[in-house]
Amino acid sequence: MAMALIETSGLSKHFGQVKALERLDLAVEPGIIGLVGANGAGKSTLLKILLGLLTPTSGRASVLGMDSVRETRGIRQVVGYMPEHDCLPPDVGATEFVTHMARISGLPRTAARERTAEVLRHVGLYEERYRQIGGYSTGMKQRVKLAQALVHDPKVLLLDEPTNGLDPSGREEMLDLIKRTGTEFGITVVVASHLLGEIEQVCTYLLAIDAGHLLSAAPISHFTQRTPVLAVEVEEGADRLVAALAAKGVRARQDGSRVLVAIESDALYDMVRDSVADLALPLVRMQQERGRLEDLFRDASATASPGAAMVTGSPQ
Amino acid sequence: MQATPLTGPAAAPIEAGPLAIELRNVARWYGNVVAVNDVSFGLGPGVTGLLGPNGAGKTTLLHMLAGFLAPSAGEVLVLGRSPHRDPGVYRQIGLVPEREAVYAFLTGLEYVRFNARLQGLRDADGAALDAIRRVGLEDAMDRPIGTYSKGMRQRAKVAGALVHDPQVLLLDEPFNGMDPRQRIAMMDLLGQMAEAGRTILFSSHILEEVERVGTQILVMVAGRLAASGDFHAIRALMTDRPHMITIRSSDDRKLAAALMTNPAVFAVELTPDGCSVQTAQLGAFRRLIAGASRTAGVRITEVFSEDESLEKVFEYLVRR
Repeated sequence: MAMALIETSGLSKHFGQVKALERLDLAVEPGIIGLVGANGAGKSTLLKILLGLLTPTSGRASVLGMDSVRETRGIRQVVGYMPEHDCLPPDVGATEFVTHMARISGLPRTAARERTAEVLRHVGLYEERYRQIGGYSTGMKQRVKLAQALVHDPKVLLLDEPTNGLDPSGREEMLDLIKRTGTEFGITVVVASHLLGEIEQVCTYLLAIDAGHLLSAAPISHFTQRTPVLAVEVEEGADRLVAALAAKGVRARQDGSRVLVAIESDALYDMVRDSVADLALPLVRMQQERGRLEDLFRDASATASPGAAMVTGSPQ
Repeated sequence: MQATPLTGPAAAPIEAGPLAIELRNVARWYGNVVAVNDVSFGLGPGVTGLLGPNGAGKTTLLHMLAGFLAPSAGEVLVLGRSPHRDPGVYRQIGLVPEREAVYAFLTGLEYVRFNARLQGLRDADGAALDAIRRVGLEDAMDRPIGTYSKGMRQRAKVAGALVHDPQVLLLDEPFNGMDPRQRIAMMDLLGQMAEAGRTILFSSHILEEVERVGTQILVMVAGRLAASGDFHAIRALMTDRPHMITIRSSDDRKLAAALMTNPAVFAVELTPDGCSVQTAQLGAFRRLIAGASRTAGVRITEVFSEDESLEKVFEYLVRR
């Protein structure tokens, strides 16, 4: 059993009437962890408590066994934080800024310089690191924010919406960087994001909180498991395919250009193949359906067993 | 498709019908900076995603359509009229700007009501309430916007933009800051409005979401229109890029050998993922997969292609 890196028990935080967190119990193990939740679900509040910036109303939180209220200095030495908002000074270069942040973390001057060079190279900032940050693109600024979070060699990295404002290629690069940071440095990364697609892409574990409670906590693979449903997409003739399969006694249901079939045995694959071949239909895709993270946020009625529910209806 | 920005945009046909939005050789420059460069296209009812890297000119384009900016050259038409300094056209335009320019001291309902009155609606109260409901902001409508989360502010802006039920809705990164549930709801809302015959143009960086809302796209690259139309059709025009299809089967090697005999196939590779096929004739290949594997006596369990998605099409258009 791996040690819980981040732990909370009965953690509550109230702002007047608003209950941002309500008796939250968590135990986070090493990995790349996606933190999702509705707006106002308490994600930012949780991050701020873990950083020791907010005091809980009740309950407790700890990082690597250190209490978030009493041992904030210890926590800050092992935690790197990349805030969501624009927080960089515009009139200094990245090297100067990150070195400064390293010095604040207590690194000696020489070590601070060396670490800065190292992390800036890791995040992919080269010639431009001496230029003033004010002139940087959004993607470059995000890299500086990540670099300053890494410079003191933390064991836990908290990233608040790291791809915010990035364009598709910038996003792709940042996601790749997060993945490499987690695996190469072997540190735990918590990524707060609204984009389930990117969480699916980089994270190994999902924490979903809703209205201050834990909604779900499980490995990503748990949510994206294959379901016993085969989706067959054809360019045309989905209705004819359904009819042909029904004639063979196969339960199938049309969903736009797709035909959903319950996989009851391996022979089913051959029946689908033969029906498509007989009708000479253009086969676009044939894949076992997978669960999606999104189903967590659909209506409760739709979340239960997405695959099975889909084909149990009577064949049309 | 390598040639697009140099020799003109590859335009997949946009369905006939009255064009709600039309641009003819439009350019806009700021001093020496060319933000939009010789762009022409037309849009009818439906949802269109406006894509492009940061700095490609998307916001400038939306601002010209909203009437904030006059084009430096060319002609911008919204419902047949130039929107610049024409309040008559504003009655038919709703804009959700990217910047969070909302008055923090107003409540959500007040903000939307002001928009309704600005548009000269007779029943401003009713329209405002209605718009608030459409974006699902009832619970927070009496709180000052200053206390809103980002996703709530975003929805207040959307409510303000559609309070007068405009024909044309322009949205600059509307999903920004919204949580998963709000994103799904907003995508559904855009879909409904499109079905009701509205013309909707929205910019976004999240391609998987654009793909969910619709297939019509406009792609800007460095101020130019790199492509427009249905992205599947745009993909089909990229004849220099073979289509890649991966098939998993009971016997990949046997299937590979069988497929290689077909002239529609010009390369087959065995990978850990299965049998990866390259073809220039996608339609023909799709029709032969099932028959060929049956003849070869191979059971196919999975067929998919990685390079038909909007993400790939976008990557091909932007990275050249």
